[in-house]
Amino acid sequence: MTDPTFQDLPAPAVHRHRRHHPSVIWIVPFVAIVAALTLGIRAYLRIGPAITVTFETADGLEAGKSEVRFKNVPIGKVDRIALAEDRRHIIATLKLTKDAAGLAARDTQFWVERPRIGVGGVTGLSTIVSGAYIGVNAGASNETIESFVGLEHPPGVTTDQRGRRFKLTAREAGSLALHTPIYLHQVAVGWISALELAPDGKRVTAEVFVEHPYEDTVTASTVFWNASGMDVTIDAGGLRIDTQSLATVVAGGLAYGVRDANAPDKVAAAGTTFALYDDRPQAMMRPDVERIPTRMRFPASMRGVAVGAGIDFQGVTIGAVDSLHPGYDATTKAFYTDVDATVFPERLEGAFASLVAEGGASGKTGLDMLQSLVGRGLRAQIRSGNLITGAGYIALAWLPHDKATASVAVADTWTIPTVPGGVDHMQEQVQEIITKIDAIPFDAIGKEVQQTIASVHQSTSAMHDNLFAPDSPIQSSLKTTLEQVQRAAFSLRGLADFLQQHPESLIRGKK
Amino acid sequence: MSARASELGILACPSCDLVMRDVGVGDRRCVRCREPLPRATRDHHVHVTALVLAAAILYIPANLMTMMHTEQFPTRRDDTILSGIGFLWHSGSWDLAIIVFIASIVVPLVKLLALVLLTVTARSGSTWRPRARTKLYRALEIAGHWSMLDVFVIVLLTAIVQLGAFAHVEPGPAVIPFAGVVVLTMLASAAFDPRSIWDGSR
Repeated sequence: MTDPTFQDLPAPAVHRHRRHHPSVIWIVPFVAIVAALTLGIRAYLRIGPAITVTFETADGLEAGKSEVRFKNVPIGKVDRIALAEDRRHIIATLKLTKDAAGLAARDTQFWVERPRIGVGGVTGLSTIVSGAYIGVNAGASNETIESFVGLEHPPGVTTDQRGRRFKLTAREAGSLALHTPIYLHQVAVGWISALELAPDGKRVTAEVFVEHPYEDTVTASTVFWNASGMDVTIDAGGLRIDTQSLATVVAGGLAYGVRDANAPDKVAAAGTTFALYDDRPQAMMRPDVERIPTRMRFPASMRGVAVGAGIDFQGVTIGAVDSLHPGYDATTKAFYTDVDATVFPERLEGAFASLVAEGGASGKTGLDMLQSLVGRGLRAQIRSGNLITGAGYIALAWLPHDKATASVAVADTWTIPTVPGGVDHMQEQVQEIITKIDAIPFDAIGKEVQQTIASVHQSTSAMHDNLFAPDSPIQSSLKTTLEQVQRAAFSLRGLADFLQQHPESLIRGKK
Repeated sequence: MSARASELGILACPSCDLVMRDVGVGDRRCVRCREPLPRATRDHHVHVTALVLAAAILYIPANLMTMMHTEQFPTRRDDTILSGIGFLWHSGSWDLAIIVFIASIVVPLVKLLALVLLTVTARSGSTWRPRARTKLYRALEIAGHWSMLDVFVIVLLTAIVQLGAFAHVEPGPAVIPFAGVVVLTMLASAAFDPRSIWDGSR
């Protein structure tokens, strides 16, 4: 429909060789779709599972902010925090990243990492500024679940730590706590990973973790003991203070070792239960297998002998007092105390073995042989072990038995007659000394001393008169003597002057 | 007599104003100065539609994905455009929030909608308020200069806030689709021939 008047106008140049189809422009939205889809799919693939964890408190957690970290690598975020229906817990919804999806295994543990200050050290210090985060200990299970119950404390051991766990049972936890270190030859090789009361409430069960490569040092015959505080020993070698490390003095610790390093041994399996001894000497003591109940009757005061007091034979503590039973004898109208004790004859080692061997020939038991010692004059006596504290022990010794008190025999029990104790003796002697001291006439002595002092005073004043009065004969003769000495000095000086001028006169004589 | 150049079968070179006959298709150039001439009407509508469509597609990831990753010890946060605006608003910088909201959300959206409106009406030869539509096109051209604001903000922050462990800002994956939206809408508005607004008016 070009107007004829414009026929003269030039036509536009057309670059045919660069001509392209107008639909080529559709590549642009196509590329945009592909790009948007790629981004979308990538974002979708990065969305990991959402899991819920219940905690006692949400202290320090913030929805949308607090991180979930595994080995300090962020693997997700706390998405939402809600109260549980029972209002006793909080339920935190965590969004994990896709690559951390496998961490939601059935046995994975979650806990809130907050700053914790204990004697063993300070942990989670970084959370003071960064805020709390949720720590993760990856489980080994292949099964993934969506809801977890969070721990209130970080687990003692994370699953990726190499080592072995053992169980210890102790009467008291003492200063033991989670993370208390365990020493072998004073090198820290592990720590307490769990601590709980036994279900019956009578004992404390501790789980210890010994790190790789030291886990093989725990053997079947290993003994564990409490190395808390320090051991102060005063013996012939002087004062000795033993500690595992300075930290154990404050924070406590455990140590282990073997009683006999040369004995054949095998590595303990994981989960083996050991007893925890109170201290090293106790741990190192042989276990007492044979026990012989013992009974002694003491008519005297039992002051200083308490339950647990030692029974000493030839300097070896072979037993301990179990109980004290005061009694009254109507026939003699006297009070007495029956002492029940346990003797561990194996502490006598070879001596007891020989004794048993001797009796074995005639079919006698160890108890019979011990009882026969009584026939040979063995008596029990209370002795004072410590003059300061007054703590006493029971000594078994061959003593003069003229005053012995027989003990009432009980079946299957070693009954030992007793003699009055050294303490009683000493008291008598001290009494005697005091009586003697009393007899000394301190009054008379005092008077005499006073008189002596008076006469001494008199003689000194007389001497003063003789010596220092201006007309005393000593004074005048002293004066004369001094004058003569002066004259002698003058003539000596004359001689000295002459000799200085005429030294030859010493040989040739005065001319 | 009032007639449009296209009705008379002629067109003028936009560069040297040489009047030529409106013949030929494809890559047409001015015979005198070799300046490219506007496309034939049907061609140019396809062109604009494709660009607007592409921009609209990219608008989705640009708004859904992380625009800015901020680490300000001890916190770190990922912000989309909208959550960043919310953060600014809640932290008291409501003035900044408004500016960013207008520059990053309203302007691209209005541009897209306006381009759609212009193309659709022009294609169907609508006679609805051609003058207002021309004004809209002019406004579009001017606003286009400012729509990269968000990208500039992030580029500046990334360059300035590099305090090592204490604070740093990194652009997120949404920056690229966002820049794509801005560039594509600018290209679309440049490709749009405002004269086609009047195609339906006789």
